[in-house]
Amino acid sequence: MGPLLETKLHLPRRPATRVARRRLIDRVAADATSALTLISAPAGFGKTTVLTEWLDSLPANRSRRAWLSLYQRDNDPVVFWTYVLAALRTAVGDGFGTATESLLQSSQAPLDAVVATLVNDLVAVAPDVVLVLDDYHLVESPEIHESVGFLLDRLPAHVRLVIATRADPPLPLGRLRVDGRLIEIRAADLRFTDDETAAYLEGASGTTLSVGDVAALAERTEGWVAALQLAALSMRGRDDVSSFIAAFAGDDRYIIDYLAEEVLDGQTPADRSFLLQTSILERLTGSLCDAVTGQKASKATLARLERANLFLVPLDDRRHWYRYHHLFADVLKAHLLDQQPDLVPELHARASCWHESQGDVGESIQHALAAEDFSRAADLVEAALPHWRPRRQEATMRAWLQQLPGDVLRLRPVLIVGLVGALAAIGEFDENTDARLDEAERLVALADSGAAGPDEVVVVDQAELRLLPASIEMYRAARALMRGDLDGAEIHGQRVLVIAADDDHLQRGGAAALVGLASWARGNLDVAFDRYSECVAGLRRAGHIADILGCSITLADLRIAQGRLRDATRVYVDGLALGTSGGVAVRGTADMHVGLSEILHERGETDAEAEHLQQSRDLGEHNGLPQHPYRWRLAMARLRESEGDVAAAVSLLGDAERVYTTDFSPSVRPIPAVRAGMLARHGNVGDAMAWVDARGLSADDELDYLREFEHITLARVLLASFHADRRGSDLQAAIRLLDRLLAAAETGGRTGAVMQILVLLALAHDARGDRPTALDHLGRAVTLAEPEGHVRLFLDEGPRLRALLEPVARHGASAAYARRLLEGRPDAARHAGKRQPLVDPLSDRELDVLRLLASDLSGPEMARELTVSLNTLRTHTKSIYAKLGVGNRRAAVRRGDELRLLSHRTRR
Amino acid sequence: MSEGTNHSDSSGRYEIRLRGRLHARWAPWFDGLTIINGSDGTTVLRGELADQAALHGVLRTLADLGLPLLSVAPVEPDRSAAPTSDPN
Repeated sequence: MGPLLETKLHLPRRPATRVARRRLIDRVAADATSALTLISAPAGFGKTTVLTEWLDSLPANRSRRAWLSLYQRDNDPVVFWTYVLAALRTAVGDGFGTATESLLQSSQAPLDAVVATLVNDLVAVAPDVVLVLDDYHLVESPEIHESVGFLLDRLPAHVRLVIATRADPPLPLGRLRVDGRLIEIRAADLRFTDDETAAYLEGASGTTLSVGDVAALAERTEGWVAALQLAALSMRGRDDVSSFIAAFAGDDRYIIDYLAEEVLDGQTPADRSFLLQTSILERLTGSLCDAVTGQKASKATLARLERANLFLVPLDDRRHWYRYHHLFADVLKAHLLDQQPDLVPELHARASCWHESQGDVGESIQHALAAEDFSRAADLVEAALPHWRPRRQEATMRAWLQQLPGDVLRLRPVLIVGLVGALAAIGEFDENTDARLDEAERLVALADSGAAGPDEVVVVDQAELRLLPASIEMYRAARALMRGDLDGAEIHGQRVLVIAADDDHLQRGGAAALVGLASWARGNLDVAFDRYSECVAGLRRAGHIADILGCSITLADLRIAQGRLRDATRVYVDGLALGTSGGVAVRGTADMHVGLSEILHERGETDAEAEHLQQSRDLGEHNGLPQHPYRWRLAMARLRESEGDVAAAVSLLGDAERVYTTDFSPSVRPIPAVRAGMLARHGNVGDAMAWVDARGLSADDELDYLREFEHITLARVLLASFHADRRGSDLQAAIRLLDRLLAAAETGGRTGAVMQILVLLALAHDARGDRPTALDHLGRAVTLAEPEGHVRLFLDEGPRLRALLEPVARHGASAAYARRLLEGRPDAARHAGKRQPLVDPLSDRELDVLRLLASDLSGPEMARELTVSLNTLRTHTKSIYAKLGVGNRRAAVRRGDELRLLSHRTRR
Repeated sequence: MSEGTNHSDSSGRYEIRLRGRLHARWAPWFDGLTIINGSDGTTVLRGELADQAALHGVLRTLADLGLPLLSVAPVEPDRSAAPTSDPN
């Protein structure tokens, strides 16, 4: 958005001629606990004057004053909050709000997160803070209104927000009013009383008026200070004040029109022309006015007009920048359009050139558009695109691009692709996108051919043109993925990797991610993982941390599907470290906690699982990525189920479904399927069957990775149905389906699914009465589960599986792990897992041994105490030493003490 | 509301009445509307507006200028077919 305009942060001076408005100041000052002070009245009611007078009266040592004058082009949420931050910095110091700033610059951070961080920054400020948003009626963006409402709800007690506006803002004013958190000053309050009118006119017009004259003016102006000000100007130097007042009072013309005409008539022709021609400017300075009017001494003219009180508002202390009072500017513009309509585009064109020479891109474009010089505006927008893109100001880009007429836009490939990106940011990504991309591609080829004339294709920035082919393919890959066209996504994504420059980390990373997602949707988890890792590497090189956390979820999901819980843990632990490395939790940190809780759930470490979910909640939803709300509820539902509260779990799943959202990730674990599986596990076959019917699932469906979870759930439902109704066909169908699923999952290396399927097969064959086959399958599942510590998939199955585990625990390769599953190892682990800061926590048994090591018992005595052989004791001891990273008994005890492992009590 | 006219997203004719007489030079501010000054010290803006958003734009401009609004009404197309303009 270019450099910040300091003039917008300038606290206006109190005008020289004024009437003290003590009655209003007292009302504003009365209740320092109100969150919002609303000054709502039409133009020219003295809103700003009352505010500046109040701010002047505040003790400087105890309160900080931040001022922001809003403009039409601040309707981009990022621009808006960047200015709010800058305003607060002028008030409380440059060091303020670094966390907010970094969030504003990181892509995809939601506004709520930005505002929540700003609130945290504000909490740390000691003195009272008053933040004034002047001309708030210029804000139209619903996102900004929403985020300001969010700020109001969380505003610390020592911060006051003041909004000056011509129309009531769409904020929850009613609620604030009821809560006593709103102070309002409205038009009726701002109107000058008769006494104030008399005092004002005496000061401003330099003449003493009769009581009758004052009364006539008060009635005609209704205490509207802008009108009074014009009236005072018109009366200055007149001999016939009374007849002027009589004529004015008896006229029914629009009051400002009448008076402004009087004032303009009193100016020299040169000044009148200056006033009209410069009325098109949002802000004025000497050299700009010289450029627009062709006059030479505009700086002096401005100073003179200000002294003459001609509605010039200084925007800084050096009298460098001014603006006209809005109402007066409107009158001037009306006269200009009336008298010299043909000159107006020329004036705007001059202003556009001047701003361009100063590097004020936004104003330069705005004036070019007003001049209806669209090809110039398009040139300027095209030159600005590369600077705006990384700053997330899609709303601004969208606004400029959409103001360009179609016949200008259609010649410019850079702008067409820019529009695709700006629209994609608000979810407009559809068939129109495809058409635009095709058109842009055609234009790029035309431009490359070198044979095209300027009536066929226009490119301002050749460097941008060279980036287009990769961008176009990238958007196509994303479009293909959205349509479920995996081949297309891979083809277009691969093409990006071929044509993008080596140092174009973002494009390359993005393409790798899209190809990875397509592989994921096909069930090629290894390829998906590799591509996604490339994406993360690219993001790391480009410094996009919040995006890396988003990718971590995908990487971990892939690892979990492969049954690799340790690798998944590492992904989340690294993500957590990355997310908190800056001292403040980066957005996405909350998601890392949810992810860890999911893994701990699989491992049956319930306490640690609950703790991570709590930490995630403490960080707040605004700290989470878009998927966070549903993932948190899903994880919580599974925790509740394992705690035995099935009703709460099912209800949480309903909540999760309502807030479900996804980025481009395939929906490999649909919530309704999770719910159906849960219902089937707890005997609610009817509702689970209803889900099967609704999804149209059948045991003979063609298999497809995207439906793997649903099909496994279908097998579970069929099994539950068999136990309810004893229909053999259900059982046969379940086994048939599971056999096919097993082959597919094994081929795809999806060990997570393989274990799940084996457990269900064991249960199915057991139900058929074929215990040997059942034990065979279960034995394989246990063997696969042991290395990564999977527990939950056995525990969730209840007594039928428990009965099957007992023979497995008696002999064979997986006997030991099966025994631990039966012994309630998960509960032991949950005690061990809770406070052990170890990568590989000590088991309950090992904790018992460690405690004995701390005693003065000998080896054989300890073995007797534990009723194990001396050899078994040695195995435990060796394992403990390895986990603690020590070499002898004394060091183990010392380390155990440091880690406070000795204070734990044995469960049994 | 009659069929087909004055839907929020379709065009319609409106009559907007305000207090005070407004000079014809303000016409560009109210695109497409005719400024008609009445003998009773009120002004009527009358004409076709593209949609409700355009109507809101007009009302906002009136508010910006501090012109007191008296009434806003949709009108049938034929009733104001030939407005008599009396600009000051």
